[in-house]
Amino acid sequence: MLIELQQVTKIYNQGRANEVKALDEVSLAIAPGSMVCLRGASGSGKSTLLAIIGCIFPPTSGKAAIGGKPLSRLPDRFLTIHRRQFIGFIFQQFNVLPELSVLDNVTLPLLPLGVPPRERRERGLRLLEQLAISHRKSFAANQISGGELQRVAIARALVNDPPIILADEPTAHLDTRLSKEFMKIMAGLKAAGKTIVITSHDPLVTEHAAVERIVDIRDGRIHVS
Amino acid sequence: MLRSSLERQLNILDYALSSLWRRRLKSLSIMLVFAAVIFLLASFQMVTTSLSQAAGRALARAPEITVQRMVAGRQETIPLAYLDKLSAIFGIRKVVPRIWGYHFDASNGANYTVMGLDPAVMPLGESLNLTLAEGRFFTDSEKGKAVVGQAIPASMGLADRRTFSLFRPDLTLKPFTITGVFAPGTELLTHDLIVTTLADARDLFAIPPDRVTDFCVYVANPAEIQTIARKIADRLPDTRVLTRPQIQKTYQVVFGWRSGFGSICLLTALAAFAILAWDKASGLSPEERREIGILKVLGWETADVLAVRFWEGLLISALAFGVGCLLAWIHVVYFGAALFRPVMVGWSVIYPPLALVPNLALADFLLIFAFTVMPYLAVTVIPAWRAATVPPDSAIR
Repeated sequence: MLIELQQVTKIYNQGRANEVKALDEVSLAIAPGSMVCLRGASGSGKSTLLAIIGCIFPPTSGKAAIGGKPLSRLPDRFLTIHRRQFIGFIFQQFNVLPELSVLDNVTLPLLPLGVPPRERRERGLRLLEQLAISHRKSFAANQISGGELQRVAIARALVNDPPIILADEPTAHLDTRLSKEFMKIMAGLKAAGKTIVITSHDPLVTEHAAVERIVDIRDGRIHVS
Repeated sequence: MLRSSLERQLNILDYALSSLWRRRLKSLSIMLVFAAVIFLLASFQMVTTSLSQAAGRALARAPEITVQRMVAGRQETIPLAYLDKLSAIFGIRKVVPRIWGYHFDASNGANYTVMGLDPAVMPLGESLNLTLAEGRFFTDSEKGKAVVGQAIPASMGLADRRTFSLFRPDLTLKPFTITGVFAPGTELLTHDLIVTTLADARDLFAIPPDRVTDFCVYVANPAEIQTIARKIADRLPDTRVLTRPQIQKTYQVVFGWRSGFGSICLLTALAAFAILAWDKASGLSPEERREIGILKVLGWETADVLAVRFWEGLLISALAFGVGCLLAWIHVVYFGAALFRPVMVGWSVIYPPLALVPNLALADFLLIFAFTVMPYLAVTVIPAWRAATVPPDSAIR
């Protein structure tokens, strides 16, 4: 699914004393089925860019579109519906709910879609099996290891079968073995036709063979390499 | 579409239940405090209903009109000669003279109600025996006989004895023999009551032979009570005319006033709880904020998060409502409303230990629901909305 950004600017706290321009007229196109890495130092604007692609908030100005559908002027409710349909998120901190079971964490995005419990369970278990952690399905999320948590987060991002996967510093808390494992899974997803955008400055990610393009971001602006 | 909507709500309800379970300590503590407030309010409501119903049952056999004489704004004995004047009024079926007063028993500090009447001349005289748990009513020709309330034998320490004595005003003793004891169902009115013949009551209180304390008037057509009461008041201007509906209303007002006073005190507790609920609901912890952020990033709409909060509030308040009402029922029925009994039943030394069995209608539960669950949901809805509008990016910051 094609992702297009044209002259996108994002200003936080606009008009206030603490106004911050996080993105400054960024233009970017990401082809369907590709894997792109957004690279930049902390505060460079890469997470803001990821949030705009992920329909978390609209840009202050400029145009953003996914699969040809414009997002820039959409109210919050429609951004949520877009996010639900098109986007799977993987976070740096995994962002799982610690007291929920692994299976319940994975199926969280299916609840507001009205998916019946039996189907939820089947879809969640299928993904946990694919990611080889089905044996942990009943464990509370705070009882499993970091590598397993990462796979739970991946399973959760995939449970809606979204065409786009966004990962924010996904290997920041993983060791080398787990980081390589993560990229292997991402490469498999790319091969399955998913569009993948990863923010990272980890060489294990940026130098991975599956990454087709690295977008450098500095001070809210893009430097294509 | 409808099915999907229903599935969605069921999923959200499922999540709300698991959310309450995850915060079970906090949820349980809020539920228990809320249940305690509902318990107090429901107890008051149930006691009021029980007492009003007991009073209604007991007053069903009361005279339709009671006539007393007033002198200088105070009740005085009434001449027996008024009986003829009353009997002459069209529509009056029967006039029964009665002596009615209090007798203070200094030895145990109790006040007894003493009533002198002739059961044979009362319209329902033959059915008076039905109000007794044991024994029989005396006849007017018998001397020194009495029918007493449930509390009298124990209060006087009679044990198995059937005789007792009361002091006349000149401190000589007037002996009585118990011929019957009133049934427990009439306790609200008969618990401390001693009924004897007119002659014995007159003897006990030293009332002149041509006088009684009041007349019980029975009418031919109960629909005419007010009209006949007005006629009596016109013809005997020095009397006070009390109708049965007025007395019933007075009971309702007395219980209603006491219940209302108690309810106002308890509503203050409810208001304090509402403020606590507001405070708890509006102060989002970082974990809760993060959880909502995560849910919203995962595609939950503001309405979905609001629905979770709504279900949580409804589940807590419904559970508290059930627990509070059940405890109130147990408190009233099995413990005789021990917490509120002195406030509700009166100032008597001998509190009637009548069995309170509230026959609650749906309206009573709706009233309790409206005063408890609705305010709780109302005060939590705005904090819930504020929580639901947590921006999704709070999960990725």
